[in-house]
This record gives sequence, C-alpha cells and structure tokens, in this order.
Amino acid sequence: MLAAQNEAIEAGDFVWRTDREDVHMNIEAALTDMIGEPAKKLHTARSRNDQVVTDLRLWCRDAIDSILFHIKKLQVVLVYLAMRNEGLIVPGYTHLQRAQPVLLQHLLLSYVEQLERDAGRFIDCENRLNFCPLGACALAGTGLPIDRFMTSDALGFTAPLRNSIDAVSDRDFVLEFLSASSIAAIHLSRLGEEWVLWASEEFGFLVPSDSVSTGSSIMPQKKNPDPMELVRGKSARVVGDLITVLVLCKGLPQAYNRDLQEDKEPLFDSVKTIMGMLEVTAEFAQNITFNHERIQRALPLGIWMQQPSPITLLRRTSHDIVGRCVAFCLSKDCQLSDLSLDELMAIDPVFEKDVYEFVGVNNSVSKFCSYGSTGSACVSEQLSYWVSKLGISTDASE
Amino acid sequence: MRALIEPATPVVSLLRQATTSRNDIPEPSPYLWQHSRRRRQRWAVEAMDSQKAAVTITSSVVPAGGKSLSKENKLWGGRFEESVTDAVERFSESISFDKALYKQDIRGSRAHATMLAAQGLITTSDRDSILNGLDVIERTIEAGDFVWRTDREDVHMNIEAALTDMIGEPAKKLHTARSRNDQVVTDLRLWCRDAIDSILFHIKKLQVVLVYLAMRNEGLIVPGYTHLQRAQPVLLQHLLLSYVEQLERDAGRFIDCKNRLNFCPLGACALAGTGLPIDRFMTSDALGFTAPLRNSIDAVSDRDFVLEFLSASSIAAIHLSRLGEEWVLWASEEFGFLVPSDSVSTGSSIMPQKKNPDPMELVRGKSARVVGDLITVLVLCKGLPQAYNRDLQEDKEPLFDSVKTIMGMLEVTAEFAQNITFNHERIQRALPAGHLDATTLADYLVKKGVPFRTSHDIVGRCVAFCLSKDCQLSDLSLDELTAIDPVFEKDVYEFVGVNNSVSKFCSYGSTGSACVSEQLSYWVSKLGISTDASE
Repeated sequence: MLAAQNEAIEAGDFVWRTDREDVHMNIEAALTDMIGEPAKKLHTARSRNDQVVTDLRLWCRDAIDSILFHIKKLQVVLVYLAMRNEGLIVPGYTHLQRAQPVLLQHLLLSYVEQLERDAGRFIDCENRLNFCPLGACALAGTGLPIDRFMTSDALGFTAPLRNSIDAVSDRDFVLEFLSASSIAAIHLSRLGEEWVLWASEEFGFLVPSDSVSTGSSIMPQKKNPDPMELVRGKSARVVGDLITVLVLCKGLPQAYNRDLQEDKEPLFDSVKTIMGMLEVTAEFAQNITFNHERIQRALPLGIWMQQPSPITLLRRTSHDIVGRCVAFCLSKDCQLSDLSLDELMAIDPVFEKDVYEFVGVNNSVSKFCSYGSTGSACVSEQLSYWVSKLGISTDASE
Repeated sequence: MRALIEPATPVVSLLRQATTSRNDIPEPSPYLWQHSRRRRQRWAVEAMDSQKAAVTITSSVVPAGGKSLSKENKLWGGRFEESVTDAVERFSESISFDKALYKQDIRGSRAHATMLAAQGLITTSDRDSILNGLDVIERTIEAGDFVWRTDREDVHMNIEAALTDMIGEPAKKLHTARSRNDQVVTDLRLWCRDAIDSILFHIKKLQVVLVYLAMRNEGLIVPGYTHLQRAQPVLLQHLLLSYVEQLERDAGRFIDCKNRLNFCPLGACALAGTGLPIDRFMTSDALGFTAPLRNSIDAVSDRDFVLEFLSASSIAAIHLSRLGEEWVLWASEEFGFLVPSDSVSTGSSIMPQKKNPDPMELVRGKSARVVGDLITVLVLCKGLPQAYNRDLQEDKEPLFDSVKTIMGMLEVTAEFAQNITFNHERIQRALPAGHLDATTLADYLVKKGVPFRTSHDIVGRCVAFCLSKDCQLSDLSLDELTAIDPVFEKDVYEFVGVNNSVSKFCSYGSTGSACVSEQLSYWVSKLGISTDASE
C-alpha cells in the first residue's frame, strides 16, 4: 500500500492537505483512508521526532551522493580542459597583479585540488550522519520490544544512534552539510570571479560560446558570461542557508523544538543551489575557448619576476637587484629580456650572458622544477595523477 | 604600480628647479634608481622647502601627513621609488595580530634553512647562524622583550629583519625559494594544528566532567522536554550523555579538519613553485605534515582549511549554546532544578538577592561571535580570484578569536559542571506534573493489542479526565479507567507513575536504567575514566 502511495505521489496525483500538517501525517492519513485499521498500527513505537530526523538523514545521504557525482564530473571536465590546452602559458596573479607565468593546466588543476577537498568534507559528513535515529521515539526510547538494529540495517545506516535524546534533538549533521556546501560554494565563486574577469575585454583570455552566454536587451554588442556570474552570486544564498540554521539552533534547549522544522527549507535550497552551481560550471567549462593569441600577445607585459639562479647571490640582495632592473625597464618601457648585458651589468656585475636563459616568459616557466610547481614535467605528473584517479580515458580527450 | 613612476617627473623637475637656487645639490642622473631612496627623499624635501610657493607637490611624492625619513627600506622595496604613506601602513599592517604566529614562523624558518643547507643552497655555517639567531629571537619574544615594529608590517618581516640586524648577511639567504605567500599559510596550518589539539583536549575534558556528573546523580529522574513541554521522564544521566555524544561528533569534525589541513605549502613560493633545487618533502616531514601540497597555486590561495575549522567551531559553539540555555533555564526559580555554587555565579550590583548563572549565559552568548567569525571568513573568500590576495590577511583575527572563544566556552562549561548540584527534592516534587507517564500507558495498551493510534486517543482521554479532576494518571481507579476503555486491567498500575515509566523503557539507546548503564560503561571505557576516582 505504501508502494501505491509512492506511485501516486510520483505521478503527481497525490493530494497534499495542509490540515494534515506535514508529510508524515499526510501519508499516514492517506494510508488509513486506503486500508483502515492496520494503518493505525504503523506509528507504534515511533514519534514524528525520530521519524522526521530519520527521513532527513536519508535525504541528506542521497543528496550528498548526487553532489559527489557532480563534483567528480566537474573535476573531469576541468582535467579535459587542461588536456586540450597543453603548453598554454598564462599570467599567474597575486593581488591581481601579474606575478609569474604559469601553465593554464596548473591553474585549472588547483581548482581540481580544491574540489577534491570539498568532496572529502561531504564524504566525512555522510559517514558521520549515517546513524539511525528510529526507535528513539519522542526522546526517551520505548518500552515496546523493537529491534533498532534491524531497521538501521534495512535503511543502510551504520548503526542506531546510541542516545535517544541526542537522536531527536541534534541537527549538527545539517550544519555540517551546509558548512561543506558553503565552502564548496566559495570555491566556485572564486572560479566564477576568475572566468568573468578573463572573459572581459580588458583580459580577453577566454571566450564563452553563445550556448553559455547571454545578451543585453538594450546593447546589441553585449555577450555576457552570466552563468559564471550566477555561480559566483549564488554562493551567497548557500552561505545564507548555513547562517539560517546556525541561528536557528543557537540556544535551543533539549530535546525537540518546533523551531527545528525550519531546518529543511534552507537545507533543500542549499542542495539545489550547489548542484546547480556544479552543473553549470561544468557546462560552461565545456563551452569556452582560451584565446591563445591574445594571451600570447599580452604575456610579455608585466615584467616577470624569476629568481636569478646564481645561488651564490644572497636572496634578499638578488630581490633588490632585480627590483632595480624592473624599475629600469619601466623607465625604458621595455622587457627584462630587452636589456643588453651591459645595461644589466651596470646594475650589478654578477650578471653573465647565461642570464638570457632565465628571462622571457617561456624560459621562465621552463625553469620551475620544484614538486607541485608549474614546470612542464611537474604539471605532466599532476595531470597523470588526476587522469588515473578520476578514471579518465585519454583516447576520449577531444 | 606604473603610477609610482609618474611622480618621478615632478621630483625631477623639482630637483632641476632646486639646482638653480642650490648649486651644491648635484644634478640627478637620468636613472633615479641609481640613487638610494633616502637621498631622493631628502632632495625632494629640501627642494620643497626652497620651492614651497612655486611648486605643487602631489601627495604621492610627499604625503600630506608627512613622512618619517627614518623608515627603513622595505624588504620588498627594490623597484619602489617611495615608501607607503602612514595611513596605508597602519591600515595594512598585520603585526598587531599575526605575531601570534611567531612560534610557527620560527619553526618553519628552521626547517626551511635546514633544507636549504642540505640542498647546498646555503652553507652549513649560514644555516647555523640562522638557527642560532632564530633561537635568540624566540627566547626574546617569549621573555616579552622583542620589539614588534609596524613599519616591518608583519611577523615574517619583523623576524627576518631582526635576524638580519643580529647576524647580517646570512639572514638574507633565509628567504631563498620562499615567499610570504607560502610562508604565512604554512605558519597558519601549523597554528591550526596546534589549536585543534588543544580544543580536542578540552572537549575530552568536558566529556569526562559530564560523565562524572552523570555518575554522581545515578537514578535521578528529570522531566524530558519537547517544545519545552514536559514530555517523558528521563534519567538525568541519559540527558547528560546526549551532550557527550554531540561533543564526540564535534571532536570528529575537528579531527577530520586536522587531517585534511595537514599538508605542507612550503615550496609553492609566490604561486608557481621555484626553479631552485629545493626538497619540499624534507621540509614537509620536518614540520610533521603528511606530504607537500600537490599544486602550488592551490597551496597559496586556498583557505578552505580555515573555513572548515571555523565551521567545526561554530557547530560546537551551537551545541554549547544549547547546553547553556538548558542550564540557565534549570537554574531559574521556575525550574529550580540546579543550583550553581557561588564560585560559578555572580550577583547584582543593585538587587541583593540575585544569584545569576552568568558563566552559562556567556557560553550561550559567545556562540554568536564564533558564528560571526565563520561568516567573516566566508564573506572574505567569496569571489576572490587566484592566487593570493591581500584580503586574505584578514583571515587571522576571526580565526584566533574563534579559537580563544571556543576554548573558553569549553573550559568554563566544564568548570560550571563541576560546581553545580541538582536539586533532587525540588525535581521529585515537580515530576508528577505533566503526565509524563502517558506514553508509557499508551505502550501498555499497544501490548494489549490496541492499535497505537487508538491507544494514543484513549490515553489522551484519560489525561483530559485527570485534568478535570486535577489528579495524576496513577490516581485513577480501575473502574474509572475501564469506563474510558474496557481493555484496562489491574496490571496497568505497573505502567503509571514516573518511576514505573522510566523502568519500562528498554529499547537500545533509551532512558531505561539498564540501557543507560550500558551507555555509561561505554563512555567510562572510551574516555579512560577510573571509576574509583568518582566522587
């Protein structure tokens, strides 16, 4: 009979009644309408207190599985994007000032790392919430001979919760879920910011295809990267959802309080939002091209700072020497690689003609070799790690 | 940055004008960078003095607030023509709060210097000078004698400059293959690791205190509430252990956070790594990290470990706020269930009778600042592009505040818990009110074969009858009960009354005595509590 109800709900035929308050009473009353007396026995040794929080934990578990799927999908998309743009050097920024040249692949993989930690947080949350409240009843358990382990196993929980008061009153799993979602949302907002910047005329590093852009109702020329602006913006509502539930729970005495029904809407909203953000980011990433030509042309600007390799130089002194070289370049409006050896030696006699292997963007990138750096070999290794971990087939790369 | 060059033009023309009236000042060369900044500043000021009426000085050349010529060159100042204004320096400084990272900064520098020597990037004698110098600095800081300078901006520059003052040239090699970007986030991760260890210690301590409190109040039945209405009778032990469970999950979150943050950023440098032959694995091991971080951009730009730490702290704070609420209620005249001793109460400056459970009110209230600290860093990080941005220095004060607060909350709650007594007599007298045994009576009918919904209804009618008679369920005669429903028999009296009610609970995790005993044994064993020591 419950199966029949399930079908009716999924077909959209079920009539939800406000006077029956909530989903639990609606379903039980409908069941009673349908089958009579036996339905009245369903709620034996059960309260809505343990019922609702069991439902919620099951829902969270499923939601987390979906989120993990979408995180992985986005990681895969970013790795493909990296593979399709091998060798492309872009400016790496600190303080939004051009800092050092980096391989685009290296930058994309930094996001993959962050997503991996996000997934870790969701997994830890899922493990921690996977304990069954059923059988705690209102708050104290019951005198009826129920088997909490049986229900717990049947519902795929690790075990029943050890304390009935804790079982019905705590929503820390909701807070943890929302925290993990908020952190992931912040990560995506940062990627959103970056790609919105890169799509601007001033940067011009990436071009979204029409399928992920929108126009203006008034300005005919406009092509806006709205999806990523919304990814950036919707992070705010996820954070808001977290705050809602934190404020909700603050100072609530044991065990169950009606306030707690307010936990659901923010939770549902956060899940819907984070999934949308993950999906759309992945879609956007599959529909952009990097403007290699524009990036190449722009690269020389910004005076790249690479530590001079002569290790006999004191680090602080070399920083100072190169700083003075930079100031000289600025006054001449040229690049470090344009300076003659005489000009360099006039700044400091330690320069030799092998210095030209260290200036210029391409040379600069090729000199990086520390573990995790942007050197080609290091990035190749990172890529292999992710291709293997994510189970990506390299023949399928476009 | 380019704008800094433009003021040179007014300076040059200033100087050129100045030379017409002060022939002893040499014509500056076309390459201003060839002259030290101090000399240029001096010329500019002297020129200004002599040309005050004639020349408009832009504030970028000589700031309105004036500049102290005694400011030393910044360690990053190579290409810079002038120093920052005082207002900017005050706004930007972080030394007032990031000096809290001195220990971690010194530890990181020791490991870094050791690695540099092992890799042949500095000599062993330089390394030794650096290590000795750092020891002296650390001792000086701990003695409270170190002078922290705002013009040296932050803890890193302060320590390095102090080291340079002390040992000279070798100190200038310390920052080889390092940037403040990877340095600061390494310091922060080390600090968080230590902070989490302290928090875990205090969580465990509170758990132990609550278990002792439970052991000292065996058999005490209290009302259990839902909607703050009396619901069912529960053993006080059972209620206290529910908080122990929540604290256990809090500890789990902190442990997961610690494991996830325990990766080393050192060697990521500014954002891209380095071409120098460093050994990131050596430094990582020396600092007790699991491994170096795999991607240098990620290493310097991400603060998700701070967010996760703050989230865990916020959830723990919310838990403590709920305990705070409960004990404040129980200490009230209306409840009167617990009495704090004078050592954890405060009075009123005007009302002589007052005895307030302030510590727990503050535990409840300080949860707000922990939540605020979390929001601060969430908002801080939102929409920040890669890789490092100066905004990120704002992550520390909220983090430090949250740790100080949560540790205070944990400590004080434990202290409060060790200084309260439960008012057994008052609780016993209050217990009958509220028909706490009603659900147990409904279970009795279920055992007799009545569907639960129906039994819920029957007992509801019994309670209504009691209310009209202003009596308890256990006061009703068998005739009165059978008049409501004939299924009642004389064994019903084993199910009414609070004591009977509690004894009937038997499901796993319930408030039944045997179940609670089992829970207690679990915790005594898990927390390593010696049962002879219980008071």
